Amino acid sequence: MGNQNATSAVPAPRALLSHATRETLSNYVYLLPAAICLGGTVLFPILKAIHMSLYYNVLIKPQEYRFIGLGNYVRMVQDPTFWLTLRNSFTWVFWSVSLQFFFGFLVALILNGQFKGRAIFRTINLLPWIIPGVVVALIWEYIYQPNYGPLNDLLRRAGLMREPVAWLSNLNLVMPAVVFTNIWRGIPFFTIMILAGLQAIPEEIYEAATVDGAGVIQRFWSVTLPMLRPIIVVSTATRIIWTFNYADLIFVMTGGGPANATQITSTYTLMQAYSDLDWGYAASLSVILLVIMLTFTALYLKLTKGVESVAG
Amino acid sequence: MKTRGLGDPLERFLGGPVLWGGLVLATLFAMGPFVWVFLASIKTRTELYAMPIQYLPTHPTFQNYVEAWTSRLTPFSRFFANSLWVSSVTMVATIVISTLAGYALARFRFVGKNTLMLVFLATQMFPAVLLIAPLLSQWHALGLIDTYQALIYSNFSFTVPFTVWMLVGYFESIPRELEESAMIDGSGRFGALLRIIVPLAAPGIAATAIFAFVSSWSELLFATTFTTRTDMRTLSAGLLYMVGQYEIQWGQLGAGVMISTIPVAILFIFLQKHLIRGLTAGALKG
Repeated sequence: MGNQNATSAVPAPRALLSHATRETLSNYVYLLPAAICLGGTVLFPILKAIHMSLYYNVLIKPQEYRFIGLGNYVRMVQDPTFWLTLRNSFTWVFWSVSLQFFFGFLVALILNGQFKGRAIFRTINLLPWIIPGVVVALIWEYIYQPNYGPLNDLLRRAGLMREPVAWLSNLNLVMPAVVFTNIWRGIPFFTIMILAGLQAIPEEIYEAATVDGAGVIQRFWSVTLPMLRPIIVVSTATRIIWTFNYADLIFVMTGGGPANATQITSTYTLMQAYSDLDWGYAASLSVILLVIMLTFTALYLKLTKGVESVAG
Repeated sequence: MKTRGLGDPLERFLGGPVLWGGLVLATLFAMGPFVWVFLASIKTRTELYAMPIQYLPTHPTFQNYVEAWTSRLTPFSRFFANSLWVSSVTMVATIVISTLAGYALARFRFVGKNTLMLVFLATQMFPAVLLIAPLLSQWHALGLIDTYQALIYSNFSFTVPFTVWMLVGYFESIPRELEESAMIDGSGRFGALLRIIVPLAAPGIAATAIFAFVSSWSELLFATTFTTRTDMRTLSAGLLYMVGQYEIQWGQLGAGVMISTIPVAILFIFLQKHLIRGLTAGALKG
């Protein structure tokens, strides 16, 4: 089949390579484009980032560019803002993901019901998830705007508020405000995942439980939840990693401020690069982000009993 | 579908008033912000800054759209074209690359296959901020700053791992016998892939294609970092630029937001069935 194989980029002389070897080589050719892509845009850049993290590299001080070994990492350990960003990341991830999960689950249960116009309601409820992050950020910046934004106005009309509140510049309110925005954005993710899980549960199991006298609440605890366990684990873990890495929303809405109140580790990395122009320190922060992410992924794979069960 | 347990009063309560109440609340919450921004985008200047807030425009106008679209400082027509081009090319190239790789991983036996799958999984979870600094210096060295190539190549870093991962699952679900008989009939492996596998996996390929398009359309950090010229910005980068540059013009910004949202929303409305099936297939098997 060698001469008919259109992609065989290895027209090796017969004498040198056996048929089997040639086929193996031509098999690798299929992987070549993907390998080049990921080599050039992921693998090489990561090595480069590690390399950059070992240098003093502040763009406005090119004359001071030099190798400093682990200097950036030492600075990180001593940097109170870095530890603050880790705590903020935890708050951001914990509240975002747990509430996205809770409300996403509720919406999935609702949308799994049988009623007229279900398709339209489904589409509407999933829309916040599909739109660009910067769009989400700007929409909510407008909603939170103290004078022209609708949130203060609605709260005042409802008699819940007297003085207008500057949601995104108040130290105590800014984190809840960005988390709330992220919840709005992320609910559909869990809705989609759990809805798919709900629809995969065979109707017979519910019928059997009903025959056994299980009420609606019991059926939820003894059938629905256990059957959804795999998809809950997979979607929550994916979401935790994604939220931890996600910088767009905070970057656009507050830039990590005021006074680092919403500075999570990924936005701190960005600010180091864009505002302080300290690319060495930014690189070392991003390497630590990678290490945290890899540790979590390893734990997660162990939890789901290895890649096989995820890959199917 | 059978209706179960209709005699249970609690279930009837949950399936009736609670279901409808929840549905209305959830839908209002999901739609409210869009409605607000859409209304803002068709308000006149006076209406935008009226005190107290005026929710409905008395003189609806598309002036904000015209201004955003033709503005010389923030030309949304140009941003739109850039986004469309970058996302489309990313999508097509990603599909070609990932179809080949996904097929190889689904069909061939070779050393390190499981490790490779693990790499594709882990790569999906890499933080974008990790890649920004090294990619910037890389594109700079290659003279690719302010080019579409830099944005398209960078987008591969997140589209390719995910689509390969998805397509492996699709290809594995297609019986081997189908392409084997085609190969006996004289097609090469590549011919069998094109004529048998690709048509059968079309829904899956479509879903991953939409994913690649939508995620490229939303991409912000690469687009702001690897472009410096206004005429090279995508919609996401252009919106950010608009905010950073002047005092926020909420009317024009609202128009820009709608311009950025409508294409992906339309795509989603028409193709959500495929997209959702594609995105959840991997997780469901777990």
